[in-house]
Amino acid sequence: MTSIGAVGDTNSSISVRGLWKVYGPKPDRIVGSELADLPRKQLQTETGNVVAMREIDMDVAPGEVFVVMGLSGSGKSTLIRCLTRLIEPTAGTVMIGDVDVTKAGKEQLLDVRRNRVSMVFQHFGLMPHRTLTDNVAFGLEVRGVDKVERRKHAEQTLELVGLSGMGTYRPHQLSGGQQQRVGLARALATDADILLFDEPFSALDPLIRRDMQDEIVRLRREVNKTMVFITHDLSEALRLGDRIAIMRDGRFVQVGTPETVVVEPADEYVENFVRDVPRSFVVPVEHVMRDIDESAFAGTVTVGTKVRDIVKLVATSDLPVQVVDDSGRGVGCVDRVHVLALIAGVEE
Amino acid sequence: MTAVAIAPQAATKTRSNRSRLAAIAVAALVGIVVIYKVTRGQNVPTWLDLHVQKNAQSAYHWVTQNTGKNWALRATKWFGDALKWGVERTVTLLRWLRWTGVLAVVFAVGFIRAGLRTALIGTSVMFCVGLFGFWDKTMITLAIMLVAVVISMLIGVPLGIWSGLSDRGEQLLRPVLDTAQVMPAYVYLIPLLSLFGIGFAPAVLATVIYAVPPAVRLTSLGIRQVPVVTTEVGRSYGSTPRQLLGKVQLPMARSTVMLGLNQALMMAFGIVVIASLLGTNDVGNEVLKALQKSDIALGFSAGFCIVFVAIALDRITADVGHPRGLPTWAKSKRTLWIAGAVLVVGAALFGKVFDLPVFPAWRLDIGSWAKSVIDWINDHFRHGVPLVGGTGTVSDFIVRDVLFPLRGMLQSAAWWLVVAVAAVTGWWVRGWRLAMASALCFVGIAAMAEWDLAMDTLSQVLVAVVVSMSLAIPIGIWVGRSPMLEKVLRPVLDTAQVLPQFVYLVPVLFLFNVGPTPGLIAAVIYAIPPGIRLVALGLREVPAAPREAAISYGATPGQELLKVQLPLALRAIMLGINQVILMVLATVIIAGLIGGGGLGLEAVSGLTKPNLRLGDGAAAGISIVLLAVFLDRVTQAWGNRFGYDDEHK
Repeated sequence: MTSIGAVGDTNSSISVRGLWKVYGPKPDRIVGSELADLPRKQLQTETGNVVAMREIDMDVAPGEVFVVMGLSGSGKSTLIRCLTRLIEPTAGTVMIGDVDVTKAGKEQLLDVRRNRVSMVFQHFGLMPHRTLTDNVAFGLEVRGVDKVERRKHAEQTLELVGLSGMGTYRPHQLSGGQQQRVGLARALATDADILLFDEPFSALDPLIRRDMQDEIVRLRREVNKTMVFITHDLSEALRLGDRIAIMRDGRFVQVGTPETVVVEPADEYVENFVRDVPRSFVVPVEHVMRDIDESAFAGTVTVGTKVRDIVKLVATSDLPVQVVDDSGRGVGCVDRVHVLALIAGVEE
Repeated sequence: MTAVAIAPQAATKTRSNRSRLAAIAVAALVGIVVIYKVTRGQNVPTWLDLHVQKNAQSAYHWVTQNTGKNWALRATKWFGDALKWGVERTVTLLRWLRWTGVLAVVFAVGFIRAGLRTALIGTSVMFCVGLFGFWDKTMITLAIMLVAVVISMLIGVPLGIWSGLSDRGEQLLRPVLDTAQVMPAYVYLIPLLSLFGIGFAPAVLATVIYAVPPAVRLTSLGIRQVPVVTTEVGRSYGSTPRQLLGKVQLPMARSTVMLGLNQALMMAFGIVVIASLLGTNDVGNEVLKALQKSDIALGFSAGFCIVFVAIALDRITADVGHPRGLPTWAKSKRTLWIAGAVLVVGAALFGKVFDLPVFPAWRLDIGSWAKSVIDWINDHFRHGVPLVGGTGTVSDFIVRDVLFPLRGMLQSAAWWLVVAVAAVTGWWVRGWRLAMASALCFVGIAAMAEWDLAMDTLSQVLVAVVVSMSLAIPIGIWVGRSPMLEKVLRPVLDTAQVLPQFVYLVPVLFLFNVGPTPGLIAAVIYAIPPGIRLVALGLREVPAAPREAAISYGATPGQELLKVQLPLALRAIMLGINQVILMVLATVIIAGLIGGGGLGLEAVSGLTKPNLRLGDGAAAGISIVLLAVFLDRVTQAWGNRFGYDDEHK
């Protein structure tokens, strides 16, 4: 995968401040006013407005995977569309790298869409009148890359997502999972540093969905891109996200690492969501370890390993598990009792 | 438990509502009858007359005397000449191609678009046109159609794109298209005639007016049907609006736009015969002559020419997706088109070199064959058939015992009573606004000073609609519930929809007495296929879930039909009635030409004797429009009442 621009530089960060989207007549007067705090139904009958998204602040660091999770109608699709102004936000600013998208003129906006950001859609959005190659090459085509070059690049990208040699097929000849691989290839083909995912896997069967999530994890390791990922599936969010934002009624109710969200839910709403998530799935070993004072261990794991991954070790041996940092230096160890306490939810 | 307790209350409430409505209806009916008896014979007062006849007549004379004298009239003349030139050149081209070349074109287009089967069907159908004996005159018709359809697409596709991309565009265009489609063709022949005189130019324009609406509508539909996500993809990757249109929206709308071309062609064929009133000397004109001279053989052979050309063009332009089973060299479209062009030129040169005649002397005398069938039917079934009585008897019954009494009643009723009944109908269907509009339509008709003719036409429309619907609804229900029957009837219904109205007039004219009956019967036959189709479609589109639920609770097929399927299909059926009424109106107007009388006859005589009667024709034309608008609006609003999405009606 060739990549344009230095990966991880500030050009691939996203910074959002006070972003609002209000539908209906004279939306400006709603922003930040007392009206915005009215219950949804009352506001709609009184002024005819609907607040889809309110007061969103978010910062995504270069190379980070930022997941926005919420139920349908929570405003998450509106948010991701406002990032490149597919939907025009009512108020607030969006910075992509050093470009103020919300103030960008026509040319600059096209430049952001063509060169910096690529998007993957829920229902794939493949074009039935084009071959897979021409679908994947679409972003390059509108950018004005010549035919031979863009097709060559598109075919390479198809290879990357595991569809090599299928370039002359048409979308309707593929399964849902394959179609979304094409959607992914189309996004990768532009070499944009930022990828936006709008519930990309929710239309797929559970097993295929899992495959595709693995694909994202793999991509993350290989091509270090900044990603904003929308989903309504908590386990997907926990698997993929460096940080997760939980969205409800158009606002973020909590932003944090998977662990924080599960262990310290901000309110009852989030708590209801994460209640059934076993803590051992999200809590890393270093959060339950004690200091080392012996020399015999059941095994050794690195910092960041989730507790559930050492359950087997402590179950088959009475010895503790050693935790080492990236350089291999021991930083602590975990006993069976720590693991059990975490699972039971009685650790102090 | 509460639900059970509430239910009987609700039931009594609706029942008392219903009986109150029934009482009001009966009272209204009695009231109308009483008022009718007391006030009958009150004619439209003279102060209401707008003198349209006189004004239109003098406007016509002014135009004919001043042709070329000011810039507007010069431009008009120039435009008309350009159209005439286009048609004449096309005729020259078709003649140059010879019959071999024309057949090669049909074959090549059919093959490239839909494969060998379609190519062969199209070619042989076209060959039959020659066998029927009107090859050259059919080529003139074809030239008019081609020029008109090309112009229609040139106008229709850009307008369609506009209306597909912009809501404002759609709002502006919709009423215009609606009106163009509701108006029977006779109506705009008169203004065209007065501007362009007799000839190809007004014929082409009349055809264009008819063919543009489907081109616009289907282009717009195609663009609006592109899924939101696909346009979002286009935008999110940085397409300019122009790129979005060229790379995403238009390619995805392609097959719908092609359907628009197909529909435009079919609409164009619908008015071939009527357009020939403007003096085109083509095959449509032959049909017209046959109808006026009651020449059975001529009517059939010329009529079949039109039908067969229509079928051939329908086949080769209908979109069937990608042809299968092509040899490998034919996989590329470009190679195919080049091969097609070579074939066409080759066939034309072949005709030149061997100096082939216009068409070989082989003939299929379908005309006299049809004449003998008609004669035989007339000899055996005119009178004295047990039970039904025969065509003559049916004809007499409809005219004497149904049509004349109704017509008499409408004509003798006080004019303001008819206006009032129209207003009440509008009010009952939708409310005050429609009531006002309906009343205005009829006051307008009164102002045209063609009141009795309008009532004559209205009575014919009412009779034909009642007959059509009482046949189309039961058959439609049957077809909608029996996949077997649907399969059998479908090709028949499809073909019936392609045929122009005049085709139905030819046989019925010779089977039934001259007078209003053939028009009525033709209207019924013309309107029944779409009626059946829409009813059946409505039934079949009812989602499976509620029907399954009904069956799982033990509903009999009858209960399932009455309690689930019909109520859910009601709206579609009502909109079907709207279509039927408009088709009936169009046919009844045309039938004026063959003895139906009414506004249609008045409009035609305005066309055939423009120097004397153009004004009368114009007034009749405006009356037809007003009648059409009234019937369309009322039935459309009526259909919409049954939608389940507008709960607060």
